[in-house]
Amino acid sequence: MKKILVVLCVLALTAVVAGAQAKTALKLGDNLPDRTSGMGLVFETINAEFKAANPGVDIAVESYPDQPWQEKVKIYVAAKQLPDINKYWSFPGMFKPLIDASMVQTLDKPAFDKLGYMPGALESNVYGGKLYGLPLTADGWVIYYNKKLFKDAGVAVPKTYDDLIASVAKFKAKGIIPAVTDGKDAWPLVITWDALTEKVNGDFKRTQAAFDRKAKFTDPDFVKGATLLQGLVKSGFFADDLMVSDYGASRNLFGQGKAAMYVMGTWEVGLGADKNFSADFLANVDAFKFPTVAGGKGKVDDFMAWFGGNIFVNATSKNAATGVKYLEYLAKRWPALAWEKQAGYPAQKVTARPTDTPLAKTLLSVGNEAKMTSDGPPSTDRSDAQFKDDIQKAAGELCALIITPEQYCAKIEAAAAKAAARK
Amino acid sequence: MKRLFNNRPVIAALVLPGILVMVFAMIIPIGFSLYYSLTDWAGIGKYHMVGIQNYVDILTNDSTFWRSLFNVFVLIVVTIFIQNPVAFALAAVLAHVSHRLSRFFRTIYFIPAVLSVVVITALWSNIMNPSFGILNKFLALVAGQPVNISWLGKPATALGSVIWIIIWQGFGWALLFFYTGLMTVPAELEEAAKIDGAGPWMTYTRVILPFMFPIISAVVVIDVISSLKQMEIIFLSTGGGPGDLTQFTAVYLYQKAFVASQYGYGNGLSILFVFVAVGLTLIVQRLFKTEGAVE
Amino acid sequence: MTKAFSRKAIGKTVLYSLLTVLAVLQLFPLVWVFNYSIQKTGDLFGPEFFSLPVHPQWNNYVRAFVDGKILTYSINSLIIVVSAVAITSVLSFCIAYACTRMSWKFRTAVLAFVSLGMVIPIHVTLLPNFIWFGMFGLIDTHLSLIIPYVAFQLSFSTLVISAQLQSLPLAMEESAFMDGAAYRTILPRIIAPMAAPAIVTAMISSFLSDWNEFIMANTYLASDDRRTLPFSIIRFQGQYASDYAVQFACMVLVALPALLIFFLFSKWIMAGVSAGAVKG
Repeated sequence: MKKILVVLCVLALTAVVAGAQAKTALKLGDNLPDRTSGMGLVFETINAEFKAANPGVDIAVESYPDQPWQEKVKIYVAAKQLPDINKYWSFPGMFKPLIDASMVQTLDKPAFDKLGYMPGALESNVYGGKLYGLPLTADGWVIYYNKKLFKDAGVAVPKTYDDLIASVAKFKAKGIIPAVTDGKDAWPLVITWDALTEKVNGDFKRTQAAFDRKAKFTDPDFVKGATLLQGLVKSGFFADDLMVSDYGASRNLFGQGKAAMYVMGTWEVGLGADKNFSADFLANVDAFKFPTVAGGKGKVDDFMAWFGGNIFVNATSKNAATGVKYLEYLAKRWPALAWEKQAGYPAQKVTARPTDTPLAKTLLSVGNEAKMTSDGPPSTDRSDAQFKDDIQKAAGELCALIITPEQYCAKIEAAAAKAAARK
Repeated sequence: MKRLFNNRPVIAALVLPGILVMVFAMIIPIGFSLYYSLTDWAGIGKYHMVGIQNYVDILTNDSTFWRSLFNVFVLIVVTIFIQNPVAFALAAVLAHVSHRLSRFFRTIYFIPAVLSVVVITALWSNIMNPSFGILNKFLALVAGQPVNISWLGKPATALGSVIWIIIWQGFGWALLFFYTGLMTVPAELEEAAKIDGAGPWMTYTRVILPFMFPIISAVVVIDVISSLKQMEIIFLSTGGGPGDLTQFTAVYLYQKAFVASQYGYGNGLSILFVFVAVGLTLIVQRLFKTEGAVE
Repeated sequence: MTKAFSRKAIGKTVLYSLLTVLAVLQLFPLVWVFNYSIQKTGDLFGPEFFSLPVHPQWNNYVRAFVDGKILTYSINSLIIVVSAVAITSVLSFCIAYACTRMSWKFRTAVLAFVSLGMVIPIHVTLLPNFIWFGMFGLIDTHLSLIIPYVAFQLSFSTLVISAQLQSLPLAMEESAFMDGAAYRTILPRIIAPMAAPAIVTAMISSFLSDWNEFIMANTYLASDDRRTLPFSIIRFQGQYASDYAVQFACMVLVALPALLIFFLFSKWIMAGVSAGAVKG
């Protein structure tokens, strides 16, 4: 009997000692599988710095590509296994369900107000008057291009939609793919539609009006935008495998110098510094503003931009306090680090540095020269997950030339009506 | 003596563990699925009971669902009427060549069946890539000019391409089943047919095929089941697109639940799918039973 | 005489060429992947149909092995799959025996129930199981895969083994009982060896299915150090989407274990299938 008691005491003591020395293990989930460059590297750096400054903390990272990460989050939330800190998206359709499920830790907004966030950045993460996440990047829609390929084909930087179409024949004559984008996931197609529609109607607010049921997606300006988008596909502007080309594949085609243009967001500023690509490519990559449409009201400095990527703390985690500490540290280091490593366009103001790549300088100036920005995220993310699925599917059908622009708009209209009914 | 063969405790000990595992990992989740299919749950947050509304929506308002069943049906037809005859003919050929040659070829033909679906899909997605895939490069050689068909992306070719990948993998199994089946045909049967003056065609259709009927029916049942369950290959290559053209039911229900967050709806699809799968399997089994086996 | 001979010869050449063409069709994709796995990614984009590497980049394999975390993932796969296959074989043998060689009221019903498991699609159980297993704290553990792997492989294994057991004469057990042996010795010592071909077939089939299984592993496992082998290819789709050659090297590495098992056991597979599926 005595022996057992002794053993138990020893065990208990060891447990206590072990517990006291146990590190707080922070779990971080994100969509950055590549930890050797870009945003992944920035996070690795910040994690290392945070661990050094907080010896009792250990950080374990779990990374997936974009789409699988979104799916994983849903699974985790359902099983109450969400990581302590999550890189996510601030869109209402994605973020609000988590907030409503009480899974997101509120943050103290005044503490972050002084950290140089762009106008509207923090606000994009405010729901019901409280701040829930920190915006990481300012996302704008541009067209990246390869200067050398343009020179080879004798094409000048396109200023209008018709310029884009005219360039197709010249590129194809040289065996160059005119443009690529992630058609498989369809959301870049929807954003391009949004951008084209605004170049037609000159009014970013039209989209929200349609969502609020004050306008219809079947109105002529939306249809014209869809016609123009389908026109790009029909003219051969995009690569033949547009619809099966996923994010990595399309980025890769551009980076390998096979495609002249890459329609994507400003978060790809790292293209100018990605060591996976040839020095030749790095020296020639640049970007131009989304072209205008002949006869349209939108101007070249109307910038389709929003604050998409964010980071939040899991309110139900037992390490929530440490998580918030992490976020505070991140907010201080993020802009400088992200810009230095050309990882993305930070949502906090940065100043141009002499060592910036030409691409970075261009993007910075595109942002600075913007006279009007969109009043929110792209259409995919202004409603709930079901609407997002519907619109992405419809965009896929439009660009696979299965449906007409009119049918596309009718589908969006129906989906929006259903989404409004679900509210 | 008899008592030993129906010793209750022993039977229980033998059967229960396996049954329990199946109940734990299969039946209970389906029960959950049934429950959630009666809600409008989005995967997180609150939900309401909506009764059979999901089922009504699926059956009356969901063209994708019917399209996915149609594609499964197409796959079944192609498997039974194209893959199987080719596999059978090949098995017949291999049954009549030297044993070493036969083993050599059979081993090679079975290799695709051994690979992970992830490898196979990545492999064929690269082969069918419009820019650098060898398929287009090969056609370019033949045609004498560049070929840039997007096999998995073009509406006209997408379903065929996906079905091709599935068949490519499953071919080895069909060949194996038919070959081993042919090996069980008694030599006397073939001899007798020859003596009666029957040519190869007659021998096969009148004598060998009927003899192999049980195997053929087993293969057909397996074909139906595996066609119904096809998911990863489609999911990793086209995701059901373009549009709905390559949508298969197993992929669709996964997307509805995990991607579109229509968890209640997705579960409704699952339950319907289970009914379709079980029903179809039973029908096919019945069909073959009534046709009468030779044995 | 000569006419018939040459016709036969032509027939044979046609036959053999057909066989070879088909063999090429089955093999060429893998050869192509292997060929380009030792080249530089840029070479893939060239216009040539098939080019042999000038400087084999074996380094691609090193990178694939390291960055694809092949070793970690393989160990996990091994632990999970070997356990699952062992458990499946034992349980399916037991059920097959009870349902074919013992007499009780529900034996056909149970067999039908077990074989119905083949029809249930895995994907229907993914999210419910995630929550259900989560309640027991099983998520992200090896058990979270072992249990469903066993459950889903039980059907096929039981069917194959029961087909073989049905053909064994009842006299097998009778003489052993006469000698006073109990079930716990008869089953492993006498019956199992007789059913060995079917059991081996079942084991190999379970092994291949479980080894290559992807979607459940993707859903139930979270931490990187728990993942199984098929996932290493997925790692390359985001991170190394630019580096096709390394991706191809990874594909080859992932395919190797299954191919190895297959070549080692091909005799068994072919033999077992005849014993099992033919009678079934």
